[in-house]
Amino acid sequence: MLALALRGLASRKLRAALTALAIMLGVAMVAGTFMLKGSVEKAFDDIFAEANAGIDVTVQPRSEFDVGFDMPESGAALPQSLVSRVEGVDGVEKAAGGIGDSTSIAILDPAGERIGPPGGGPPHIAASVEPEPFNPFTWIEGSAPDAPDEVGIDSITAGEEGWQVGQEVTISGVGGAKRYTLSGIGRFGSGVPLGGASFALFTLPEAQAITGKRGELDSIDVQAAAGVAPDELAARLNAALPGDAEAKTGAEDAAEQSADIEEGFGFLTTFLLVFAGISVFVGAFLIFNTFSITVAQRTREFGMLRTLGASSRQVLATVVGEALVVGILASLLGIVVGLGFVELITGAFKAIGSELPQSGIVVTGASIVVPLIVGVVSTLGSAIVPAIRATRVTPLEAIRDDAQVARRPSRRRVWIARLLVVAGVLALAAGLFATSSFGSALPLLGLGLVLLFVGIAMLAGTLVTPLASLVGRPIERLRGVTGRLARENTLRNATRTAVTSSALMIGVALVVFAAVFAASATKSVGDALDEAFAGDLIVSNSDGFSPISPEVARAVAGVEGVETVSPLTGAPAEIELATTEQELVDGLDPATLTRVAKLEWVEGDDATLTGLGADEAIAESQWAGENGVEVGDTLTVRSVTGEETRVRVVGSVRDRVQLLVSTLALPIDTVRRRLDARQDFADLVGFAAGADPDATGDRVEELLADRFPQAEARDQQQFKQEQEDQINQLLALIYVLLALSVLVSLFGVVNTLVLTIYERTREIGMLRAIGASRSQIRRMVRYESLITAMIGALIGAVIGLAIAIAAVEALEDEGLVLGVPVAGILLVLILAGVAGVIAGVWPARRASRIEVMEALQYE
Amino acid sequence: MDALRGVTLDFRKGELAAIVGPSGSGKSTLMHLLAGLDKPTAGQAWIDGVEVTALDDRGLTALRREKLGFIFQFFNLVPVLDAAENVELPLKIAGREVDPAWRDRLLDTVGLADRATHRPAELSGGQQQRVAIARALITRPAVVFADEPTGNLDSKAGGSIIELLRRSAEELGQTVIIVTHDPRVAGHAGRVIVLADGQVAADREVAGEDDVIGLMRDI
Repeated sequence: MLALALRGLASRKLRAALTALAIMLGVAMVAGTFMLKGSVEKAFDDIFAEANAGIDVTVQPRSEFDVGFDMPESGAALPQSLVSRVEGVDGVEKAAGGIGDSTSIAILDPAGERIGPPGGGPPHIAASVEPEPFNPFTWIEGSAPDAPDEVGIDSITAGEEGWQVGQEVTISGVGGAKRYTLSGIGRFGSGVPLGGASFALFTLPEAQAITGKRGELDSIDVQAAAGVAPDELAARLNAALPGDAEAKTGAEDAAEQSADIEEGFGFLTTFLLVFAGISVFVGAFLIFNTFSITVAQRTREFGMLRTLGASSRQVLATVVGEALVVGILASLLGIVVGLGFVELITGAFKAIGSELPQSGIVVTGASIVVPLIVGVVSTLGSAIVPAIRATRVTPLEAIRDDAQVARRPSRRRVWIARLLVVAGVLALAAGLFATSSFGSALPLLGLGLVLLFVGIAMLAGTLVTPLASLVGRPIERLRGVTGRLARENTLRNATRTAVTSSALMIGVALVVFAAVFAASATKSVGDALDEAFAGDLIVSNSDGFSPISPEVARAVAGVEGVETVSPLTGAPAEIELATTEQELVDGLDPATLTRVAKLEWVEGDDATLTGLGADEAIAESQWAGENGVEVGDTLTVRSVTGEETRVRVVGSVRDRVQLLVSTLALPIDTVRRRLDARQDFADLVGFAAGADPDATGDRVEELLADRFPQAEARDQQQFKQEQEDQINQLLALIYVLLALSVLVSLFGVVNTLVLTIYERTREIGMLRAIGASRSQIRRMVRYESLITAMIGALIGAVIGLAIAIAAVEALEDEGLVLGVPVAGILLVLILAGVAGVIAGVWPARRASRIEVMEALQYE
Repeated sequence: MDALRGVTLDFRKGELAAIVGPSGSGKSTLMHLLAGLDKPTAGQAWIDGVEVTALDDRGLTALRREKLGFIFQFFNLVPVLDAAENVELPLKIAGREVDPAWRDRLLDTVGLADRATHRPAELSGGQQQRVAIARALITRPAVVFADEPTGNLDSKAGGSIIELLRRSAEELGQTVIIVTHDPRVAGHAGRVIVLADGQVAADREVAGEDDVIGLMRDI
């Protein structure tokens, strides 16, 4: 029977190839993601291991908890005096303090712009030159900086910018922009790209100055005396050092650093896998449909096999065998194509200026086994229902001619479909409304979507007729009989059309969901900003998310016409509650904030903020309600280094999008001193009553361009636009990734059309005989494709919109308000139509090549 | 070896001619060449003043719209259209006005006036073939080609189909060319052309089924 399956496959090469292609794309993405993960993780492991090669033990500020990658980095540092204490510990051969700071500087190009991709990107790291054996740099040209006005640059950055030793380089630090002479170009570790990060090396005092850490260090590197094991030495150091410093071995530190990066990268791989899963899911629809149609077309063959004595089990085996072969071949091919996917992603990263480190593609066991299982299981799973249907063919059907009648969906099928839809909606609702965190909601949302989509696809048969009318009538009115035939053809086998268009429905639903959700997020932030901001300018980092130097606020305050500058900051901290979690604690300036912002007070008023004491706090009311915090409570806030501060809650405000207050807000001085915040998120600027706003704005911009090029002043409108641009950037990425699943669903449309045209060979020949031209036949098929695509797009748009509305409703407490991008949704529908027409081009050409002779002779 | 060799035939307006012969005799090939469905290696075919063999695909499409009607063994109606719509289809495809009176007269002639709104699946084989005849006649073609029009029908239904074709030749002045291997069908035709091994073995007026059988036996 397997031989028969293989023969069958060989005789239907085209559809086998199209089916395989659908599986292959999803599998390639799964395989590629795994390979990418393996390669990048290995590369980072290598980089940090090499960079830490000469370091036996490193002393750093204590880290009580791991700061999440969505949190600002802690600004905690060690006092320089600690170096002599370290040197005094028994077993220390050599110790040297150093700076390694990724948030304080911007390396500028000659035009004064931050190098790297516009709008921000990978970090610029300020580091001090370290003595051997700690130094991770090898100087290729020139030498290490040894004066305060000298800088060394890593070889990759220098190569990209075309910089030469001896030229001038401007670098902006905490104190503002400053010119340096490029003294040397060095290779970091083995010289592989560090995800696009750039290094600027200074003498220790200069590194301390530019990062605002005079007399402080980020780490102290230690070489152990001969015969002293690193972990033994680390233990001795921990015993001897104060509580806010922590010693660990160089190997441990390397592992932690690469784990940190891998955590951030893990987010990307999860993200990619979600989209790979969507493609596989859409591919499953295509496989199901192809096998359903093939089984229907082979009814007579199966009946014949039964008359020859084949058991139903043997019939099942021929279909399942075919699916198995297609699944395995396509998955293997997908794994190979996955290598290309890795290249694609790394190429994309390079294009946006974040070159991923690569030390060769790592093909792990998982990157072969997982995609293989995904491909084969999804193929078999999708083919099993058609295969079972094949076993129900009776020998009698071998003789009958009318075997291909369209079956109405059975009552049981409709009930199963309804049940799936209800279960899907319930799972979605549970995911949206009954879970506390995104992580716990995700599996429920995924399950809900799968159930919902399968259910809708099963029910879509009944929707096809009215929707085909809706879409088809205008075509019919415009194009006459070809439109009429196209519309009727989509109705011939409504279930088949339904499944075909459902594949596209999934992609469109997700696109529309993303568009509506993004529009809502944009609108929410915009609305909240309109309500909360009462000043004239917002100064923040030009990349939109990095912090800025606190010096900026002081400098802007001195500009003529500026009356108020209110800095905002924040720091990660643990607030001792029933469930102690890492939170962002905001730092506000009590003296100035009320002049440039409107707070929505729940308890207290502006005077509460103005009079906020060093150990007093304002709570966000929603957060307070959820955590049982009340005004009058005293809470313990713990910094990353473990330092505890007790604060009393004296008021509460509602801040729906957490613009100013996300959990607790403390006076900015407290956050700086006790929670180690060194930099500001943004400065809110208000002009004096009589000042000319344009002239004042220009003066602020001039100052920033001159002294703090990485900071940018935006008015309310520009700031909103900036936020919108950022959201749209993410949206664009999501569209690109969804495009793959849309592509797979278009293969489905092509496949279904090719198969149905094959069924209708005789009829098409007849149409030609009674006078239809080739172009009329082509048009008829293209319209059929268009109608099929539009049915999917319309259902998808409705589902996407419905889910987005539900999601926005669920996140109402987080301040989300609904925004519907009508033009965007219309554009999606138009694009779906265009895609439908394009998908029809090739089948249409095939159909138009059918000769009248075939109508006469075809049997 | 050639499927047809040295065949020269003329068909008059309003003539009902049957091309008969055993399998492989070249009768289908002859029809395909006459209707412009296939190209001869040498020779010409003319219909109503048009050199069929010189036309490209566009010209052939126009020819089929204006001058030809086809009737197939397997009826080949469009299953998603009802009887009246199937009859109108050639006009719709050609973008021409449908004359409802003419359509109704044709449906009446083929005896399906009361089945106009039925879809093919709701009609018997004979009824479907009668719809196909009305469809072939709606454009008032110069020639109707019928390829084994009764091949899929029982003898009673087959008889009425041939009767219809004969009446259309007589009343509407259409030339009807039937390809068949059935002597009974050929017996209804005024003229029978017998093909054997790609050549015309006989071409004459016949009178009934027995005459045709006799003619075929002679060869």
